[in-house]
Amino acid sequence: MSELAFISPGAAPLVSPLARTLAGAAGIGDLSLLGKLEVRNADPGVLPDGASLIRISPERVLVLCPEGERAALKDVLPGFVVDLTAALAGIRVEGEPLLRRLTDLDLDRLPAAGKVAGVPALVTRDGERFDIFFAQEYGASVVELVRDVQEGLA
Amino acid sequence: MHGSAGGAGAVLTRLDPQPRERIDRSAELTFSYRGKPVTAFDGDTIGSALYASGVRVFSRSFKYHRRRGLLCCSGACPNCMMTVDGVPNVRVCAEPARAGAVVHPQNVLGSIDRDLLSIVDRIGRPFTPVGFYYRTMIRPRRLWPTYERFLRNVAGLGRIDRHGVRTTRYDTEHRRVDVLVVGGGASGLRAAREAAAGGERVLLVDENPCAAPADGFDVVAPARALGIYEGGLVPVAAGTLLLRVRARRIVIATGAVEQPLVFPGNDLVGVMLPDGARRLVEDFALAPGDRAVVLAADDRALAVADVLRRAGVDVVASIDLRTDEPAKIEAAGRRGRLHGVTIDGAHHDCDLLVAAGTPQPAYSLLAQAGARVEYDTSRGVFCPTDLPPGIEAAGRVTGALGEVAPTRASHGGGFVCICEDVATKDLERALAEGFDSIELAKRYTTVTMGPCQGRLCHLSSIRLYARLQGAAEAAIGTTTARPPWAPVELGLLAGRSHEPAKRTALHARHEQAGAEIVWTGAWKRAHSYGDAAAEVRAVHEAAGVIDVSTLGKLLVTGPDAAAFLERLYPNRFADLKPGRVRYGVLSTDAGRIMDDGTVARLGEEQYYVTTTSTGSDSVHGWFEWWNASWGMDVEVVNLTGAVAAVNVAGPNARDLLAQATSADVSREALPYLAAREATVADVPCLILRIGFVGELGYELHFASPHAEHLWDTLVGLGATPFGLEAQRILRLEKQHIIVGQDTDSESNVLDAQMPWIVKFDKDDFVGKWALEHARARGPRELLVGFEMLDGVVPPEGSQVVRGGRPGGRVTSARWSERLERGIGLAWVPPEHAREDAELEIRVDGRLEHARVRLQPFYDPDGSQLRT
Repeated sequence: MSELAFISPGAAPLVSPLARTLAGAAGIGDLSLLGKLEVRNADPGVLPDGASLIRISPERVLVLCPEGERAALKDVLPGFVVDLTAALAGIRVEGEPLLRRLTDLDLDRLPAAGKVAGVPALVTRDGERFDIFFAQEYGASVVELVRDVQEGLA
Repeated sequence: MHGSAGGAGAVLTRLDPQPRERIDRSAELTFSYRGKPVTAFDGDTIGSALYASGVRVFSRSFKYHRRRGLLCCSGACPNCMMTVDGVPNVRVCAEPARAGAVVHPQNVLGSIDRDLLSIVDRIGRPFTPVGFYYRTMIRPRRLWPTYERFLRNVAGLGRIDRHGVRTTRYDTEHRRVDVLVVGGGASGLRAAREAAAGGERVLLVDENPCAAPADGFDVVAPARALGIYEGGLVPVAAGTLLLRVRARRIVIATGAVEQPLVFPGNDLVGVMLPDGARRLVEDFALAPGDRAVVLAADDRALAVADVLRRAGVDVVASIDLRTDEPAKIEAAGRRGRLHGVTIDGAHHDCDLLVAAGTPQPAYSLLAQAGARVEYDTSRGVFCPTDLPPGIEAAGRVTGALGEVAPTRASHGGGFVCICEDVATKDLERALAEGFDSIELAKRYTTVTMGPCQGRLCHLSSIRLYARLQGAAEAAIGTTTARPPWAPVELGLLAGRSHEPAKRTALHARHEQAGAEIVWTGAWKRAHSYGDAAAEVRAVHEAAGVIDVSTLGKLLVTGPDAAAFLERLYPNRFADLKPGRVRYGVLSTDAGRIMDDGTVARLGEEQYYVTTTSTGSDSVHGWFEWWNASWGMDVEVVNLTGAVAAVNVAGPNARDLLAQATSADVSREALPYLAAREATVADVPCLILRIGFVGELGYELHFASPHAEHLWDTLVGLGATPFGLEAQRILRLEKQHIIVGQDTDSESNVLDAQMPWIVKFDKDDFVGKWALEHARARGPRELLVGFEMLDGVVPPEGSQVVRGGRPGGRVTSARWSERLERGIGLAWVPPEHAREDAELEIRVDGRLEHARVRLQPFYDPDGSQLRT
């Protein structure tokens, strides 16, 4: 059975899919290289410090962890585990007014999945801080729109 | 009494300060009207400022080009529509005045004072009865282009700059609240306060820019609710922002709409609705006339007489229609402006006629939400009833209009619909022609279909139809209420000019290399880097590299993985050995080609499936759907974005790759159709030895964040980037199909000349039954290669002609520099699908000669691929 090393970022130089579109941007954090592990058909159990999870469905959980801990965590997580670090880009933004112009999700009922900036996304909330995860190929498109909306609100 | 504030050529005449006036007399601004400056106060609308400067004729009517003046002063009627800053159909009576705005009249040929098209009103009426455009300008047919040009010039309202660019930023905002209140009058405010006091999140929307201060709830004003959609979605137009509000409970407090009376001369400049006159006085300190007659059917409207008197207007008559309704009213004017009115024979000189019937509850939003609407014979209006769950009504919209009584449907004939210039005689004619349903009459006469969307003519047209037919209004019924309830700019509905695009992890590299970027489905891809022919040569003669990250990539893993793919594909995959790759074609239940790609077996229970670039999402959904349906022990993971991919192809590809990896990539260690994991340029990769472009090739799949590093390495070693155009030429030389380009929704693998794909001896697979029937029936057409005999390249989609009749179609065609001829793929009848069969292809009306080629044009035995 293949270990699927080719789907996970390795030691070679990495470039975030948002690196260029975020250049010069204010108020947008890049979560793209955060470790992201999808766990299916099992409860991930107690996670180490620095890791958190988003439940996607009753059978699926997305575990977020610092990039440096991804490989080790992948080995200890139960169930079917897939490394989605490279699949999902992510941004961190602040403020409900911004989110209200990006998504029709109920911001009082997060985390939730829905469209953000016109693309499928997963959104979490901590106070006025929102983390948004989406397919990395949409990264530039999402950031362009977020920056445009920020400009409109300014 | 009258004060004056002038400025820059404008004459501003205002009353003394009014208690609730909206204008700030200390702040002046200037805009231009017909090229001349007009001074306004802050708080003025463009309409009030123009009125203050002496403008009385604000527009020309739609059909007859009659002069029209201010009527409602609330943005409901069409009488003040002008072009403001290039935007047509702006109701200037409700449009805030702003410094620098450029305002022009519209719908005129000549000037607003001398509109040449008013000839239709003076002498053309006999020739333009209702529905004339259905019956005239038909013959002679050869003149239709002339008719059409004329009609297009005179039809419609306003002009848009077809070459203009978007200059306005439109945005969309989503709001979720417990209660949405539409209407900021007394009832709306009360409902909002009560809900807020109960701890609910409340949003109040009001079209008045001066809504009362919020008291524990949010207010958006000026703004208009456009409709009520499924799930309680209410779009609200707030300037350049479209609010999409979702509320648990919606309270409609839209009040009632004053209804114009129908009488001769009811559209003259100087005939106003009561609230229109009231707004001019109370909001803008403007006297709407010197000598007035008031005709109204409710206390609120009749009270306008007192407002006018306080403003110094001489009210010569005030008639309560509830008790003293005349049978006949006739207004007279000169050059479109009111000079007097005769009421049941009694004449009054006046320059202002304030007239309205019983106000009609503004129930449209309630009806859209599903409420029933019933005619109330005692009041002569339609009232909402049976409100659906979650929808409430408050105030005058419920029919709580105070003491009112029905007025006559007509007082001697006149315009029923001022938007579309539909008069009583037009409705009479429509009825005489058999349009006896109000819905049919609406479509035939266009009554209620103008800019006011029936606000001012819906009730009167129904009541008139009832009278003409001798039927009850309840039997006539209402027309369907549809969004938008208020006029809205298309730009606001269109929203931001943003279309989500997928970009590969190498997009920046393509741009840096000067690639021409094109849309392919949702992806943005490199079409070429400037010289596609040179890119083709590089692949044939050395080594090229193309970004194929857009390919869909699915991981299928689990104990039932092999059985799962066996059921999904017509191919066989259970016998595919680990480390090997096989081409596969997916069929639908109907046996039609759905997608294609390669399937690599990575382990006993693990397959790596690639799909077309545009098919990844649908194939992923297809796999998940069947997995859920069959309940097999399989996990399907979409790795499309996680994994980037490049194809290194050309006779030097092996040598080039060997310089970047310590893995053995020799022919023996990595033969054609092999799959191996190896590290290339320190990047863990899956290497697939396949060749879509016909040369020795390696497809490298790896984590997308490493894409630039690996690309730079390969290019640094001498690989020439090539784009989609070169790839299309190269694959055509091999007669490799592109699903969706060379196939359509009717194509199956048998007709596409790939019968070896289908393993009919398998127990079952998706589409087997249909393919068995297709095999038994025989092909209707077959996909073949062709080469042109005379140096022409037919456009894709060209017709294949046999014996003068259509006999197929070209799906792909390109010039092959290597073959020095045009080549392509085409669907042809089975009898022509033989080597050397001659075809004719219609190109620019000429028949060009081609010859069928069933084998690949380049490297037919595949020795280059296997080398």
